Amino acid sequence: MNADVVWLMIILGGPLAAAVLLLLARDLGARVASWIAGLGAALSLIGTFALLPALQRGNDPAGGLSWMPAAGIQLRLRLDWLAFPFLVTVTSVTLLAVIYAWGYHHPDRRTPYFYALLMLFGAGMIGTVLADGMFLFYVFWELMLIASATLIAVWGDGARREYVALKYFILTHVGSLMVLVGLILLYVGADSDGLSALRQGASIEPGLVMASIALFIIGFCVKMAVFPLHLWLPDAHTVAPMSVTIMLAAAMLSMGTYGILRLPFSVFSEAQVAPFATPMMVAGIISGLYGALMALAERDVKRIVAYSSVSQMGYILFGLGTMTHDGMAGATLHVIFHAIVKALLFMCTGLVIRGTGRRSIAELGGLGSKMPLVAVCTGIGALALAGTPPLCIFGSEWMIFAGGFRSGQLGLTILMLFGSLLTVAYALLFVGRIFFGHPSELCSQEPAASRLPRAMVAPTVLLAVLALIAGLFPAPAFEWVSQGMTLILGGAW
Amino acid sequence: MTGNVWVVLPFACLTGGAFVVYLVARLSAPHPQVERNSLLAAVTALVFAVALGTWTVLCAITAEAWALQETLPQLPAWGYVRAGGAFLRSDPGATVMIGAALGLGMTVAVYSGRYVALDRRYETYYPLLLLLVAGLTGMVLASDLFNLYMYCELMGVTAYALVAFRRRTDTAVEAGFKYLIISSVGTVIILMGISFIYRATGKLAFLPTLNAPAVTVPHPIGREEAGLWTRAGLAFLLVGFAVKSAIVPLHTWLPDAHGRAPSSVSAMLSGVVVQSAFYVLLKVSLGLGLGTQGLGMLLIFLSLLNMTLGNGLALVQTNTKRLLAYSTIAQMGYVMLGVGIGLYYSFPAAIQAGFFLLLAHAAMKGLAFLCKGVCHFYSGATTIAQLRGTARQLPLVAAAFTVALGGLAGIPPLAGFAGRWFVLSRALSSTMTLGRRTEPVYVGLVFLLLNSLLSLGYYLPLIGTLFAPSLSPCKEEGKRGQVRVSLWMAVPLVLLGGVVLSIGFYPGPWLDWTADVGAYLLALGR
Repeated sequence: MNADVVWLMIILGGPLAAAVLLLLARDLGARVASWIAGLGAALSLIGTFALLPALQRGNDPAGGLSWMPAAGIQLRLRLDWLAFPFLVTVTSVTLLAVIYAWGYHHPDRRTPYFYALLMLFGAGMIGTVLADGMFLFYVFWELMLIASATLIAVWGDGARREYVALKYFILTHVGSLMVLVGLILLYVGADSDGLSALRQGASIEPGLVMASIALFIIGFCVKMAVFPLHLWLPDAHTVAPMSVTIMLAAAMLSMGTYGILRLPFSVFSEAQVAPFATPMMVAGIISGLYGALMALAERDVKRIVAYSSVSQMGYILFGLGTMTHDGMAGATLHVIFHAIVKALLFMCTGLVIRGTGRRSIAELGGLGSKMPLVAVCTGIGALALAGTPPLCIFGSEWMIFAGGFRSGQLGLTILMLFGSLLTVAYALLFVGRIFFGHPSELCSQEPAASRLPRAMVAPTVLLAVLALIAGLFPAPAFEWVSQGMTLILGGAW
Repeated sequence: MTGNVWVVLPFACLTGGAFVVYLVARLSAPHPQVERNSLLAAVTALVFAVALGTWTVLCAITAEAWALQETLPQLPAWGYVRAGGAFLRSDPGATVMIGAALGLGMTVAVYSGRYVALDRRYETYYPLLLLLVAGLTGMVLASDLFNLYMYCELMGVTAYALVAFRRRTDTAVEAGFKYLIISSVGTVIILMGISFIYRATGKLAFLPTLNAPAVTVPHPIGREEAGLWTRAGLAFLLVGFAVKSAIVPLHTWLPDAHGRAPSSVSAMLSGVVVQSAFYVLLKVSLGLGLGTQGLGMLLIFLSLLNMTLGNGLALVQTNTKRLLAYSTIAQMGYVMLGVGIGLYYSFPAAIQAGFFLLLAHAAMKGLAFLCKGVCHFYSGATTIAQLRGTARQLPLVAAAFTVALGGLAGIPPLAGFAGRWFVLSRALSSTMTLGRRTEPVYVGLVFLLLNSLLSLGYYLPLIGTLFAPSLSPCKEEGKRGQVRVSLWMAVPLVLLGGVVLSIGFYPGPWLDWTADVGAYLLALGR
């Protein structure tokens, strides 16, 4: 067992062990619980970067054991270039969300369970990315859902939280079941459970190929909250506690992207997937426009940012649908950069809500003088979302549109470009209405920046700086992503 | 009477044990009530343990005999072996059902050590429990129709009495009476079927020829000589056992009977009794000459009804045990789908998956009913709404109940998900074996997935209710409001919870246990 396998186990085992410890140990206290959770998340982030040299050398860290020999199912973890950008996203978002929770979450008797479920949520996402077998993939896929639904049901805002959690569970589960059928079709066709082994091709009946690709893409689009499968997202993101919302929006939505890249795109050839290209682009455009329009119309600040997620996932789906190197690399890059910006925006929203006690955009205004740091960070986030250079999202959007032009679908790409005007609109309006203009008469409180917990402000500032740096020096991320592109659709780019 | 004595030993242990327990109960009458109940529970559990010990030997012998030859070899039997017939003959499926029944029975016996402490008449409860499992054992081992009928009746009568055990309450008596009437209709239909077959062939044995050097039993019902009376008899037997297995539309007795019996009894009924009747239905119809294709298609069609009706009606229930009873109907639908697909396509792995799901369901449903019983015992909860606050009062029970319900809903990595994965994957594999129509599989799978989704609609709110804060303030009194659960009830919960988790996390050994059932049933049907 070499060091790489140990690191793999630490990446997944850190959050899992923290979760078990938090669930079972009695009388831990809120502070110790929060540190344990932070330690678990930090371990997985450290492990991710510790494995980067191994990847660059060309050895994919992998390890596992035989789970059910009678059924050919294995318990294997594997990290390859395709998974690496997603793993970085997931582990860093989990750590930042936990740090944010140190400040946002009101400690009480049940806090250890809250952090335990956060750790399980993170472990579910990490396991999904690292899993090298279909059964294990699905187990972690569902673990993500169970942990986040429980978090919403118990710690969500408002009296509707149980209804929202049930709706979230059932609607997302529809997608999960479609993915399950696709996985079982592959399992039966390949007669083995390994995902990496599938690249040699699975012998599925030709009639079933289209069905399984369709099942995968639709099932993963439910997770990505693409219109019209997005119905669970606005309520779930609005009602969930802020750390959970950060993890949902920044990391979990991109699990759908990972799923599409890993399963239909890595297993089937370009010719087999080609019929789905244009529908994906069209769905991406509709989703992008719809999300942006709803973000313009909404009043609750958290809901505005939630609909912006729908819109951005539409961009990613559009990029995937172009089936060109630039488009798909851009889409994957967008996953990382969107995670930075979306987490930043949600953290700023949380700071505004905590500072003023208000959530409706009509009641906010003129906070720029009272919360200057938050204003700057939100400004950076909004500009980044709008695709302003030299912030990060400009790079990934450029590549997505370049891919769109290269794919030959000029009309659709131009439509998407104009759609991005709407993104500019709601992003700037978001900043403008909250921080500029006349202070609202209802806003009588004097929020002092010192009253905002440092644990909430620090990650926000960090993300704002990261958005700038990633925009100025996108080379490392770009290199990771293009290494992963060789693994899909036959890799002939 | 000769033959392999290990075949009859489990049955003999249980019946002998029933008499012993009755004696102990009468002799210990002057003792205080609670101690007497504990003593009887311990003795009953001991009897089950001894029977389990003999069963392990039987299991090993059967597996060895089956592995010797490809076709139907000489499986161990006991009875008038030399004269050409036998009373009891063991087979791979029977050992699975008996093992599940004995295991669940032992758990329920320990559980009753506290659960029925406040009732009286233990001298009837414990012997009846033992005789219920004894009848079940005899029924699945029987190799001719007369013995089958006898043991089926033994199982049925003890079940009626146990359902109506708390006879001071009118609901229990009504439920027991309804169960008695409807099940007796089934029994009479079975008897008529037996008489038709006896009239047509003059024989009662239904297991076909075995490759035994000393004994040859001609196949009682060959397809060539099947006349009207034989076919009518087969049809009557099918319908009669369908009543006993609660196959829609003959299922109407189950919600009442399982819903109003004491929880320990419901656990046994929903966990193993209905399933054994289903196994006997398979064995009898295949042994009597109904082809695997015909039976398979019939089961696939009926499974769709079971799944949909079970899940649909469970959604509207307010009484917890009734909800669990309807869930049994739905889960049996999933099992029937797996078995039916395996039979139709002659694919033993799919039948194995169906029986694996059956085992998993026995553990999960047993655990669910036992947890509900604990809630009823300590806080008088009957409806779903009354279950609120369980997580605070009885945290262990809430955890175990969540494991059971999550497993039934098919949430990975619990037992129900592993069962569903295997049923789904093997059903899809079976379409690739023979050149038969693949539509039944796809239709069945769509129904299975939609019904899984539908079942979430009642499992998830039930789990949520367990963790919701209690509405009545008086429940929150006391040190954190927690109630200490008696060890008699806690240990079975933990044990069954461990079984559910182990089936989910490590299904290998459990899969191997059900490995031969598919091949046996297909060999029967040839």
